Order: sequence, then structure tokens, then C-alpha cells
Amino acid sequence: MFASSPPSGGTRAPLTIAIDAMGGDYAPEEVVRAAAALSLEPSGRNVQLLLVGDATRINALLHGLRHDAERIAVHHTPEAVAMHEPPHEALRRKPAASILVGARLCAEGQAQALVSAGNTGAAVLACRQMWKRIPGVRKTALAAVYPTEMRRGEKDDPFSLILDVGATLDVTDDDLCAFAVMGSAYAARISRNPRPRVALLSNGSEAGKGPAEVVRAHARLRRHPGIHFVGNIEGVDIPRGSADVVVCSGFVGNVVLKMLEGVSETVVRLASYAYKERLLWRVGLMMLSGGIRRLKDLTDWQQYGGAPLLGFDHLFIKAHGRSRARALQNAVKVAARGAGTGLAEEIQEGLRLMPPPQESGEGDG
Amino acid sequence: MEPGSRISRVYRWDLDKTYLRTEFDTLRDLLRTAFEGAKDKRTIPGAATLLRELRGVRSPDGGVARVCFISGSPRQMRRVLTEKLHLDGVRFDEFILKPNLRNMLTGRFRAMREQVGYKLPALLSGRAGLPVETREVCFGDDAESDAFIYSLYADVLAGIVGRDLLGQILDGAGVYPEDAARTIELAAALPRADAVERIFILLDRRSAPRRFDRYGARLVPIYNYFQAALVLFQDQLLDAPAVMRVALEMADKHGYSLDMLRNSLQDVLRRGRVQPAAVQALGQAVLDSSQQLPALGELPAARDLVRAFAQRMRELGPLPSEVPPPAQGPIDYLKAMEEDLPRVRRR
Repeated sequence: MFASSPPSGGTRAPLTIAIDAMGGDYAPEEVVRAAAALSLEPSGRNVQLLLVGDATRINALLHGLRHDAERIAVHHTPEAVAMHEPPHEALRRKPAASILVGARLCAEGQAQALVSAGNTGAAVLACRQMWKRIPGVRKTALAAVYPTEMRRGEKDDPFSLILDVGATLDVTDDDLCAFAVMGSAYAARISRNPRPRVALLSNGSEAGKGPAEVVRAHARLRRHPGIHFVGNIEGVDIPRGSADVVVCSGFVGNVVLKMLEGVSETVVRLASYAYKERLLWRVGLMMLSGGIRRLKDLTDWQQYGGAPLLGFDHLFIKAHGRSRARALQNAVKVAARGAGTGLAEEIQEGLRLMPPPQESGEGDG
Repeated sequence: MEPGSRISRVYRWDLDKTYLRTEFDTLRDLLRTAFEGAKDKRTIPGAATLLRELRGVRSPDGGVARVCFISGSPRQMRRVLTEKLHLDGVRFDEFILKPNLRNMLTGRFRAMREQVGYKLPALLSGRAGLPVETREVCFGDDAESDAFIYSLYADVLAGIVGRDLLGQILDGAGVYPEDAARTIELAAALPRADAVERIFILLDRRSAPRRFDRYGARLVPIYNYFQAALVLFQDQLLDAPAVMRVALEMADKHGYSLDMLRNSLQDVLRRGRVQPAAVQALGQAVLDSSQQLPALGELPAARDLVRAFAQRMRELGPLPSEVPPPAQGPIDYLKAMEEDLPRVRRR
């Protein structure tokens, strides 16, 4: 369901979500299918969808789908960036690329958020070209959600947020602190969790553990009045759900995310192997099938709704490149939940309250 | 209608889900609909204003318009439905309701749900006595068989569907033999006329527009009555202030935003049902005549509204090229019947 009210309650102003209709392995078919299905959801009546892409192809698809034309507009643009294209060069050669036009429409105020399943590099670059960073944010962060043991917030959400997962490889303590503020503000909205627990990812729970920038960030976040900082956590704590927001550099975050995906895939492969290997194991797996199905649902990335790019004055949700309609619908719903809720303002305020670095450094590496 | 006036145009309207926001998908909905009062019935946004506007238009040679309702609701609902139309300020000239009590008492149970055998003869009957040059515009919805029935009516009048084919269709649709015979008789008695110029199907169930391609350019699937008003402006059956009054009613009384209206306009442009030249003419005509428009509620003055609307349209940018409407070829009614008529009613 679309969000119909902000965390504080009250009525939401009408929102427009721009959708890159040409981005993703299954674009535009699955993107248009997602938009058509979303347009029929009564709970999203105050959300308009702006499909950006080849109008001829979009029209032909919409014509054959049940949809509500009152809630869908099409912005025609003839170009698109393919998944394999080098981002810089592609955007330079294609000024009318759907992702670039979508970002521009947000900058012009025609939409409040952008969703794409297309080329990640091109999408991040398009946002950088067209949008402004929130005052106080030096570097943006791409966040990802992952399933955990614990549930949180009004929605009983099993997902925690980890950021950055690849937008900024080298970070300073300023960047880590900014990521913590951005992640906290975002999680509060998406999980309807008014006080998300924020942690730094390190190699030990002690305040002095980890690289210098992590130690310095720890000292500052501990003193931040608006962040519910729970200290450092280790890798093992991530799937346990010890924190609702896990903060790390883009390099570390990307490695962690890929490893979590790899473990999940390996478990499925091992189960499949075990199923074929011995009759007894097969019987055991069949008895566990209900639980396995639940686990599969929990780890199904199509339910996650995509990864937000945080730090800009608009919200960008990056859906998985292999997204089909269901995953894209969830990505748009996440965008609708996060956009127009004062996210940028809260991040700016959070950064204003950030304590300055302390003179004496700590840390044993 | 003034006595003795020549009838130049007839607007035929279905009632449930076309004029009224009726739910009868469940027994509970059905009971509620049956027992609710006139004040509780909800009009579909823009419908009342559009009807008032259409009935008020005179043809260039002074001919008047006639409004006829034909509904699948039982005759016992006449009082409450008539009262509802009065509350909406809608005047009508004919109101046909289904004799469902008689159908039940005579054991004609199939006729209680079947629509072709009820609506087609009722439409042909209503046509009898009208001047051959009288043109017609029909309004229905995607919940029942309106697209099929109105198109068949148009092609029977035009002589495209002859006696034999009509017989096959009525038989295939599960129409009682006595009703089929009467329908064929009514059709044979009418002079041939290409009378039905437009059929509007309100996509109440949000059916895919492609479903109606088989019926050609004459039939326009619409998402709301602003879209119908735009097509009627292009057809020169409504003037610009009338189109704006429909839009204003939808905005003022039903919460339609400028974006929803803009999207509706872009949709009919994308589907080739309205051409860009007509939209330009409409914009200019509204700006030239905006003093004729009412200032409604908290809405900005009409001129400002039109400017804001035009700005929203411009923001969407141009569409790739002008889209032609679907071609009007011969309709394969036997195939259409297989796919469009609810199975339960067919033999």
C-alpha cells in the first residue's frame, strides 16, 4: 500500500513520482505494468505517476493494460542509457536520456522523487548533475535494506538499512556522521520507526575499535542529541538486527551487501543440492518447506522496494536491474512514502546539530 | 423539450455505472443500491453538468436535443431515480427501466440478467418516430455489454447488420425467441440511417482500452466525462465554456486536481481520440470567452485556471507525433459476442 500520511499524521500533499520507464532489464514492459497496477490502488489516490521515456512504446503498452489514466502522465523522451553503457559517456552523448530527463523534471518541481531500475552509475550521475546536495552533506550515500531477525517500527518491519553501499568509497568521519543522520531520518519514515537505532559497522563493539574515521565518528555520534546511537556493531550483528541503521563506508558496505546476497544464494543452492542428494534430506526439507518459503519471502529482494540515494534535495530510489513489476511497484511505494515528508529538512537539521570533532583522538585500529 | 421542436440529436444514457456511481458486485451492494434514497445516490463526476450542457445545445438550424435514459434497473426504482435526476438538475425526455418483476413472474429468469434482448429492442423502439436525420450519441460503461449493444444498434440502423446476421447474434446472445423476433421486426421497420455518430464507454472498471478497439473510431473509451466533453468539443457538439464547466464541476465538487485533468487530456491525445488542433482551438476559445464561466468555490478565476492548465500541459512536453484514431472497419459481432458478452447469458 502507498503511504497516505506522514509519520506525524495529517494529510499529505499530492505527490508526483517520476519513473524512468526505459531503465532496467525488462523495461519498458515491466515498468509500465508496474505503473498501471499502482494507478489502480485506491490508497495511492494522491500519488501521480510520471512515466519518462519513449511515449510510443509506453502508449502501446498502456493501451493493453488495465490502468487509471487520470493518475498517469507520460513525458516523452527518445533516448535511454543501456545497462552496459559507461555512465559518463552515455549521459554526455544522450542529453535526452530518460534518467537525465527524469532527474531534471524533479529539479524543476514536476515530480518529488525519481525511481529507476536502470544503469546505477548513470542514475547517480544524473542526480548529481541535476539535483542539489542538502546543505551540510559533502557526499551522498546509497542505502540498501536487508532482512534481520528482529522487527521494528509501526509496520513491524524486518528490514534494517545499511549505508553507504557504494556511492562513496573513501569516507571521513564527517561523511559517516552525515550518513548516520540521513539513514536515521529515512528509516524513521520508511519503517515508521520514530527512533531508529543507529550503529557504526566496525571490527569490535568498543568505542576505540576500528579505523580512525570510525572512531572519530563514534565520538561525535555519541553526543548527537537527535540520533539514537547504539555504538559499534560487528558484521555478525547485521543479520541479527542489533541496529536499524548500519553506517559504513561505501567500500565496506558494498562488500557486506554482496556477501549477504552471496550467502543467501548459496543457502538456496545448498538446499537444492541436498534435496537431490538423499531421500532423507529431501523428506526433511519437505517438512521444513513452510519455514523455507517464509525465509525465501523474507530474503526476496523484490519486496525491498529498492535502494534510496540519500543526501540530495530529492529522493531517488534505485530498483534492482532485474526488477519486474512487483519489485518496481514496491520501489515506487517506497518513493511515495519517503518523498514530500520533509526528509531533506530533517537531514539538514540533524547535520546542524552534529557535534564538532573532539581534539583528542582515540582508537587502536 | 419545447413542443413541436425538431429533434436534431438524441443522447442516450445508461444509468448505473454510467451516470450513477453504483456498486452491485456483491449481494450487499445490490441490496444497498435497491434501498438507498435519492439523496444517497452518487453521481459520477462531471456527468450531471455534461448532461445539462448537452440538452441545452441547439443545432445551427434550431433543432433541439433529447435525453433518454435506458437502465437495467427494475421499474420499481423509477421514483427514486427520477428524484435523483431532479436533485441533479438533469431534465430528461424518456426513461426506460427493465421489467424485471414481470420477467420473474413469467419465469423469464435469463431475461433478468441478459441485456441484449432488453436494450436493443428498447433502443430501436425509441428510434421509431424520430426523423431520419436525427443523430445520436450513446453513453455506457464497461461493466455490462454496452459497447456491444450500442455498436450493434448503430450498425442495425445503418443497415450494416442485416436481418440474418442480427438473428444469429440474438440467438447466440441467448435472447428469448419472442424478444428476438420483435427486435428483428423493429429493425426492419426503421429507415436506414447512419445515425449514431459517437459511443462513449466509461471505463468504470478501468478495463484496458484495447478491449474496445474492435468497435472502431466511433466508440471512445473514456476515463471520465472531461474526456467525453473534449471529444464532443472536437465533434462540435459542445462549446468551449461547456467543456470548462464540466472540468470545473469535477474540480470543485469531486476533488479533481489540475494534474488529473491534464493527465486525462494527455491520455485522449495519446490514444488519438482528440487531435492537438482541437486542444489548441479549445484553449483559445476558453481564453476568449472566460467571462462566461462561473467562478466556483475556491478555484481561481477561469482564465487563470486555463493558463495554469496550459502550463501543466506544456511541462509534459510534446508527444512524438499525431496519433490517428483506430480505423472504423466492419465489426465482427459474432467474435465480439464470444469475447465481450458475459458467458452466463449466452446459449
